[in-house]
Amino acid sequence: MADNADDVADDYRQALEDLNVNSRLEIATLTNIAKENANHGLAIVEVITNHIKKCPPNRTLPALYVLDSVVKNVPTPYGLYFGPKLYSIFMGAYTKVDNPTRAKMNEMLKTWKQPVPGSISKKPVFPIEQVRPIENALIAAKNAAFAATQSSLQGQQQLMRGRQPVAPTRNTPTPPTGRGYQPPPHGQFQHQDAYPIRPSSGHNGIPSRATPQPAPPVVGYSQHHQQQQQQPAAREGYGAPQGISIDKLNYDIQQLIDAEKTEFARDPLDTSKQTKLMALLDLQGVVQKQQSLPQNERLPHKELMVIRDRIAELAALNLRAQKQQQPPQPSHMSAASAAAAFHAPHTATYSQPPYTATPTPPVVSQSQPAASLPQLPPAIAALLGRTSQTHQPPPPPPPPPQPVSGGAGAGAGAGSLSIDSLLGRGALATLLSGVAQKSATPTPTPPQVSTPQYPSTIPPAAAAAIAALRSPSQQTPVQFPPAVPTPAPAAAPPPADPSALLAMLRQTGLIGNNAQAAGSTPPLPIPPRFPLPGGMAVPPPPPGYMDRATIQLTPASLKLFRPHLIPLHLDALGPPCTQCGRRFKTDEEGRRRKTAHMDWHFKVHQRIVEAERRGQHRSWFVDEMDWIRSHEEADVDYVSHNSSSSTKPNNNNAATTMTTTKKKQCYMRVPEDATKVNSACPICQEKFEMKWLDEAQEWVWMDAMKVGGRIFHGTCYAEVHGGSAAATSQGYRQTPERVLGKRKAEDEGHGFRSKVKMEGY
Amino acid sequence: MSIPGIPGLGQIAPQHHQNHHQSTNRIIQLRPFGEWRFQVPRGANATVRVLSGTAERDGTELALNRSYSFTRTRSKILTWTGCTLEISGELDSDNLVQYNSPEESSYLPVMNLHFYLHERRQSLKRGPRVLICGTPNTGKSTVARTLVALATRAGSQPLFGNIDPREGLLTLPGCLSAAVFGTVMDVEDPEGGTGVTSTPSSGPSAVPVKLPMAYYFGREKMEDDFGLWKELVKKLASSVRAKFEEDEIVKGSGIVLDSPGVELVSLQEGIEGLVHAVEEFAINVVVVLGGEEKEFYEGVVGRLKGKKTVHGEEVEVVGLEKIDGVVGRDEMFAQANREASIKEYFFGDGRRTLSPFTQSVGFDDVAIFKASDDDDDQQPVLEQAEISEEMAHWTLAVMNASVNDPPETIQQAPVIGWVAIANVDEDKRRLRILSPVSGRLGNQPMVWGRWPEPYINLIG
Repeated sequence: MADNADDVADDYRQALEDLNVNSRLEIATLTNIAKENANHGLAIVEVITNHIKKCPPNRTLPALYVLDSVVKNVPTPYGLYFGPKLYSIFMGAYTKVDNPTRAKMNEMLKTWKQPVPGSISKKPVFPIEQVRPIENALIAAKNAAFAATQSSLQGQQQLMRGRQPVAPTRNTPTPPTGRGYQPPPHGQFQHQDAYPIRPSSGHNGIPSRATPQPAPPVVGYSQHHQQQQQQPAAREGYGAPQGISIDKLNYDIQQLIDAEKTEFARDPLDTSKQTKLMALLDLQGVVQKQQSLPQNERLPHKELMVIRDRIAELAALNLRAQKQQQPPQPSHMSAASAAAAFHAPHTATYSQPPYTATPTPPVVSQSQPAASLPQLPPAIAALLGRTSQTHQPPPPPPPPPQPVSGGAGAGAGAGSLSIDSLLGRGALATLLSGVAQKSATPTPTPPQVSTPQYPSTIPPAAAAAIAALRSPSQQTPVQFPPAVPTPAPAAAPPPADPSALLAMLRQTGLIGNNAQAAGSTPPLPIPPRFPLPGGMAVPPPPPGYMDRATIQLTPASLKLFRPHLIPLHLDALGPPCTQCGRRFKTDEEGRRRKTAHMDWHFKVHQRIVEAERRGQHRSWFVDEMDWIRSHEEADVDYVSHNSSSSTKPNNNNAATTMTTTKKKQCYMRVPEDATKVNSACPICQEKFEMKWLDEAQEWVWMDAMKVGGRIFHGTCYAEVHGGSAAATSQGYRQTPERVLGKRKAEDEGHGFRSKVKMEGY
Repeated sequence: MSIPGIPGLGQIAPQHHQNHHQSTNRIIQLRPFGEWRFQVPRGANATVRVLSGTAERDGTELALNRSYSFTRTRSKILTWTGCTLEISGELDSDNLVQYNSPEESSYLPVMNLHFYLHERRQSLKRGPRVLICGTPNTGKSTVARTLVALATRAGSQPLFGNIDPREGLLTLPGCLSAAVFGTVMDVEDPEGGTGVTSTPSSGPSAVPVKLPMAYYFGREKMEDDFGLWKELVKKLASSVRAKFEEDEIVKGSGIVLDSPGVELVSLQEGIEGLVHAVEEFAINVVVVLGGEEKEFYEGVVGRLKGKKTVHGEEVEVVGLEKIDGVVGRDEMFAQANREASIKEYFFGDGRRTLSPFTQSVGFDDVAIFKASDDDDDQQPVLEQAEISEEMAHWTLAVMNASVNDPPETIQQAPVIGWVAIANVDEDKRRLRILSPVSGRLGNQPMVWGRWPEPYINLIG
């Protein structure tokens, strides 16, 4: 038995990766290992969490069963460890699996609200505060999916009518374009027919049927099933698309109005709050009127849906405003703690007993998907909101609620919450952007592709490196270099697992791509290039080939049956490969080729398994020169670097970005160096505002510019050097340009270089 | 909205195919030159195993005792020597075609043609350049694929070209493309190894991938923009020429070029296009399928008679009867296949799961072009497209050019891939784009064509 946390984690990870079916025995074994190594629980939790995030869809469910089993059988400490991450784990998994799996996940979720069967404790598996956000998100997502179906139907009709400009529709709900829809795993593929346009029918939308899930050693799932039947469906109203309860809507609006009033009372001069409040009151009027109207005059269902979604958004935005003010949790991260030092005063409040009076508005969780904090008990959340609000006034939420990142998908749903929780927490975010870049380094090269001989040896090594990086490091706190990516959760886990967040951001496309998940996605392929030495020669024709084939290019000659020709492309070519049917001659050359060919088959099979774990994607095609120079090589993997296809498009990057977007806001990318994260503007001595900028796909400091090695607020600088406004604006433009330019280089390094791997046979 | 939809949530695939066709499990015997023709609908699955003898699909041999799985496929298994097949799964329809003598089979001339071409490949340094043409539904693609597969099997590395934008060769529809086929084709691919799933991905592939050179036409028929089509044929031909110059093996193997079906209503233009291709690709063997269609056959012969290639070879034209058993075009099926290939381009097929990337970009950060809408007789030129909601669900070709290049350059640049527009937010001026590879898209021009049609349910 390994006694080192790293070893335990590594072993556990390997065991998990081998788990690809719902095997009761294996899950029981994994549970026992987790039990015996409870002292390394954090490492195991980390491993399970990462595995669920990265594994292909068809392996997600078994991994979730492991989580389930571990938590139910060893609630302490695993329940505590998993609890805060539950939302991100569950939603991340939910987005990538197919519907039958989702149904099973729903069942599992239900059992989490119950006590562990057979246990003396009457506490549910996970506290309700941790489960409810997930349920809310699922309901909201389902409604959104329905709305999206409606809108895409409309869109389709519009398209059918031709391509005349479409009148701008009112805020069409965003289609549920989450992080990509993953095709179902192999086995179920054929059943996943066309993508049916069909609204969900039940409140679940998914028929729950008896599931072949394995029971964990102690807990029988069947017991849960029975209990589930009795589980009151408290969300009936929202699950069924028809069932938008106007009462509920009214209630939600009222809650918002109350909250808004509180806000307004605190800052009566803020006109944006005033307008928002007015708008809400108007909306309330409209909705209330609905009740008194006859059925046929009421707003159509879809409109109500939109209103409802908007209310939910607003609530979420409200919440975000609060959360932005939150100081970071006392994150037990070696790296973050240094960077987060400036938040120390806030952190201190944690150890104090919570205030009883919480002036923040009550959080309505039922209708607000993201409303309740999954990670924090509401009281603390409220408290945090309060303490920080006294520190600096919250930025008013923008009056119209806007979808995060222009619509966003399911991943963003989970992600946005985390982003929000991050927004207020500068240090962590910067650290993350650091992670984004740094984490690519452990897996710098296409691990297998480039090493034809023993491809499988590389990834474990890389993975080990990653594992080492990820291993808990709280024992050696501050002196860790700031670049060390993954903070290790400790006794009180940080609110959001940064790597989880990162993965989510990446999945939703919020973070660009140069940040490859450590070990999860292979770097992009490099186009094949240039003739490798020793291209295969065309095999000599069978002897006598030409003598026998005397065919004229005339219909009559072509129609003549020549029985002696048939064996020429069958047996004369040698016996076929048992795997692909390709024939090899039995002479020396043929045998040599066949050996190489069988090796190739073997390696490819091995690597397909590996690649499945990592995730893969289609490559770009290459440009003309590379295509012309690429050779089909039999039984050779070849990977080569290509410069022209990747650099050529990129050369214009900075220039075009700049010309197309002339009026860019002044911003610069947040420095990677954690010590600089807290630097303040030398003129006003205030810190820079960090935010995620969609346009740049970067974490940036708004209104920041670098002049002569120092970073200033653009406005401060312009004020001081008033006369040189022109020069300043010039500076404005250059700054982002430089940033983009730098990014370009990174793109080339990790992301954009399109390497194409060709595989001979 | 703060919590967006989860793709596919609450939308369950109806199992509607269950009642339409029978599930089968049986063993069949084929005599030499016999064919087993089958249709597997989308969403269903059928497996074929060769128990004895030899069998092949479009020239690529099936391994003995290995199960091959087919979906959304209309094809046939052919044997030259006779075989026993074990068939199981769901089929829309299938039938056994047995001949009393080999002379009755449509594939005897194809096989002979292969040996004829093979002989020429052996004897000359410059392999034959073959154009397969014909009226619609005469089996052009099947013959072209078979000839390429047989050549590959015999050790050649021929180029396979396609100038029919209605279908894609290793591309989405709407492209003209070519690729070297030096390795076995993917038998299980619905398109018989020429589907877009056979292109490179970041991971390994059980069947060797092929790397296409593609140019984006963006229309369904060559007549839709004849001028551009001709230009792109020229571009493709020049790439092919360069490839020949670079690679002796490929040069010695030649090219097999598949072409659009020529409708009799637009006979003149159709033949014009073919003659253009013959000139550009220096074609020296023209196979006319559906030779019984006298008007077309004589039209082709009339235009090509006595013509010589740039290399001084005579252009030979041979007419063959239409391939027996070619299924007429079923537009529903074809559209379903186009959608499936778009999906598989991004997400992979049942055998290989790919993870594309979605990203949100501002309107100003991408450069999207489209052909101008002018209806006058002038050839449409590329212009910057105004991004609007009608762009949602379309697939756009990503060109290997710079956004600052002149429109003609962009239009004739090679395609490096496709992106799908997931949605357009006109208020926020942002787009969500699904792309196969992560990375910023701002530096590459994207072209919005009119073919293939948008695929509404690509994501969720």
